[in-house]
Amino acid sequence: MRIIKLNKQIKKRFIFLLIIFACFSTSIFLISYSLKDQIAYFVEPTDLKSMDGIENKYLRVGGLVKTNSLKFLDGNWIFEVVDQNQNSVNVVFSKTLPNLVEENKGIIVEGKFIDNIFVAEIVLAKHDENYMPQSAIDKLKEEGKWRGN
Amino acid sequence: MFAITPNALSNFMISLSRYVILLSLVLISVSIFLIIFLENDYYQGISFKIMFIHVPTAWLSLAIFLVMGISSIIGLIFKSPTAFTVARSLSPIGLIMSIIVLVTGSIWGNLTWGAYWVWDARLTSMLILAFIYLGHILLLYSFEHFQKADFAASILAIIGLVNLPIVKFSVDWWTTLHQESSVLRMGGPSMTNDYLITLLVSFFGILMLTIFWFSNIFYIIVEKRKMERSILLND
Repeated sequence: MRIIKLNKQIKKRFIFLLIIFACFSTSIFLISYSLKDQIAYFVEPTDLKSMDGIENKYLRVGGLVKTNSLKFLDGNWIFEVVDQNQNSVNVVFSKTLPNLVEENKGIIVEGKFIDNIFVAEIVLAKHDENYMPQSAIDKLKEEGKWRGN
Repeated sequence: MFAITPNALSNFMISLSRYVILLSLVLISVSIFLIIFLENDYYQGISFKIMFIHVPTAWLSLAIFLVMGISSIIGLIFKSPTAFTVARSLSPIGLIMSIIVLVTGSIWGNLTWGAYWVWDARLTSMLILAFIYLGHILLLYSFEHFQKADFAASILAIIGLVNLPIVKFSVDWWTTLHQESSVLRMGGPSMTNDYLITLLVSFFGILMLTIFWFSNIFYIIVEKRKMERSILLND
């Protein structure tokens, strides 16, 4: 008799907790789903094509620094940020670049479009999730499997 | 779990703790030796070596919260004092782990990204996790009777479980400055085997240290309650 009563209580508490958890996870899901454009840290050059009113709007654009585009002219860094769809954005930056900014590596630029040129105020280097020593790369290059620069 | 008394678990953990701390010291010394003599990353240079503290503590801060949440569920459903005490002794460890993650992460971020802190999804959700740990500890000590405190804190731990998948998958769901997962991901680890082995040795060393720390906090809580009970009975 006592065991049956206990099972009932356990079931009741379990359902109570399940309802609490379901309510909170639903609300968190709805919040993050409706704010997904704000939660995203940057947009890619391809996303810019479908956005209107980007002129003079504070934005973050992320992608790779295009090969052979990084130059230092008249005290400004000039480069192109390119994404997988080969869409690119011309960027000009007047301060010191972070150490890890290299061609064909990830970058995030923060600033505004002025006359179709992105004037960056902050530049951040974005490194990827691959870690390997130089010796492993040399080995891959010997085998012809290396696909980087 | 609800059949085990806090006293039995405390005695069991304390009897093991001598071997656990020995294993932890051995693993941590081996991992320090490995980290020092490891070849630098081709792109980030020496600064990537902070990963061998950052990643294990990040895994542990998530894993500790998972254990805390599950034991809170068990505690609430089966009214188990052991499960409540497990959750109570885990939260300070989780707070320290998440603070280590945030500090090492911002040092690493300054060296590679060029910024100590940005408000992207991964960093913000990790900060929220640290604040949930802090709130859990504050709730535990804001009631006169520990049963009430355990009830309130375990509700918070169960709600906080919602944050765990957000921390883990934030880098996949949204664009972030933080890089994606290197080890626990589809398609296998994206690092060479010597890095992976070093990371795992370091992880198990810190895991053993966590278990040692947990058994000591658990033992102290159980002994303190025993003492309080004996004082009450003597009066």
